Amino acid sequence: MTTISRAAALSAVAALLHITPTVVLVERPDAVAQLLPGADKFFAREVHLADADAHKLHEAVDWSPVDGVLTFYSGRRGTTLIGLLEFVRVDTPHGPVEVSVSFDTLGTIRGVIVTKATVETKPWVLEALRAGLCSHYRGLTPTATPAATAASAALRGSVGELPLYMAQEVDKGVARALAAYRLFAQRR
Amino acid sequence: MLYDLSRADARVKWLVTCLLLTFALAYGFGGWMVALYAGFVPKQVAATYAPSQMSMAMPPESTVVVEHPMTMSQFAEAAPHQVDTALLVQDTHVHVPMYGVIAACLSVVVLGLRMSRRAALGTISLLFAAPWLDFLGMWLTKFLAPGFAWLTIGGGWAMAAGLVIVTVMALWQMWLMKERTVS
Repeated sequence: MTTISRAAALSAVAALLHITPTVVLVERPDAVAQLLPGADKFFAREVHLADADAHKLHEAVDWSPVDGVLTFYSGRRGTTLIGLLEFVRVDTPHGPVEVSVSFDTLGTIRGVIVTKATVETKPWVLEALRAGLCSHYRGLTPTATPAATAASAALRGSVGELPLYMAQEVDKGVARALAAYRLFAQRR
Repeated sequence: MLYDLSRADARVKWLVTCLLLTFALAYGFGGWMVALYAGFVPKQVAATYAPSQMSMAMPPESTVVVEHPMTMSQFAEAAPHQVDTALLVQDTHVHVPMYGVIAACLSVVVLGLRMSRRAALGTISLLFAAPWLDFLGMWLTKFLAPGFAWLTIGGGWAMAAGLVIVTVMALWQMWLMKERTVS
């Protein structure tokens, strides 16, 4: 009897650690329309990183993209470049978060949208977003240091601990996008 | 038999019933989640765990850039859910302990069922082996060959089979089986 009760209690604890499924906060086409406004032609530029370049990126932001491939999406209106866009996944202990970061033609951040979270993290992410997290990234340049991209610091005191934690994860996504842009966006 | 569930106090029977039905509910949603994020056929499971083998096995010697046009609708196409090594490490870390606890709970129920020692040993082995096969399949699919997706599918079905066997036998013996005058 005691054994069964203990085992049931342990199951409940273990269930709390379970990663919940991914939820879409903003559909990718909607994010693309907002982050590359007016673009009517799109191109995907896949950068398959050699070991040396993958190492460079890892040293810069402690991150390696899935399968060693970075993908930059460019949007054009006719022949005019509107900007570049990256979807960056950040794995957290509560499941992955996807951050979409767009750059204008001068290489500064035009906008950031969190496109995916998980069932568990969604309310925390939404609270951080309502507190204006993404507006702090606008105008950052690829040379910005990871510390400079820490928009979450501006939220300290105005949101709870868990939304602040998720904001720090979004910071990581933006820092990764900036480093990837700085190192590889112009690579031909 | 260490104890006899069929003769247990009604409160114990009710606890075990609630536990088994809760597991059944969780497994039902687990199956739904697998259908949403991985699938039940080897090709889908392999695409979830071994996308790298399907695209580019080794990093190139020098960085390669490939550009291709895409339409807005292609942004909407659901990319298959992919589990890379980091996520698989995390999944294994959080799932395996929970599966162990579930297998232990079900094994405690098995100890109270009227079945031969051999059948009980077999059932307990099945309960613990199934999640091992499930995760072994994922790792082998990722690092050896996509064909090991079968192992993951087999492990998943074995977990379901273990739960069904224990649940059906326990519910039958606790609530439906007529008490016989056997020593």
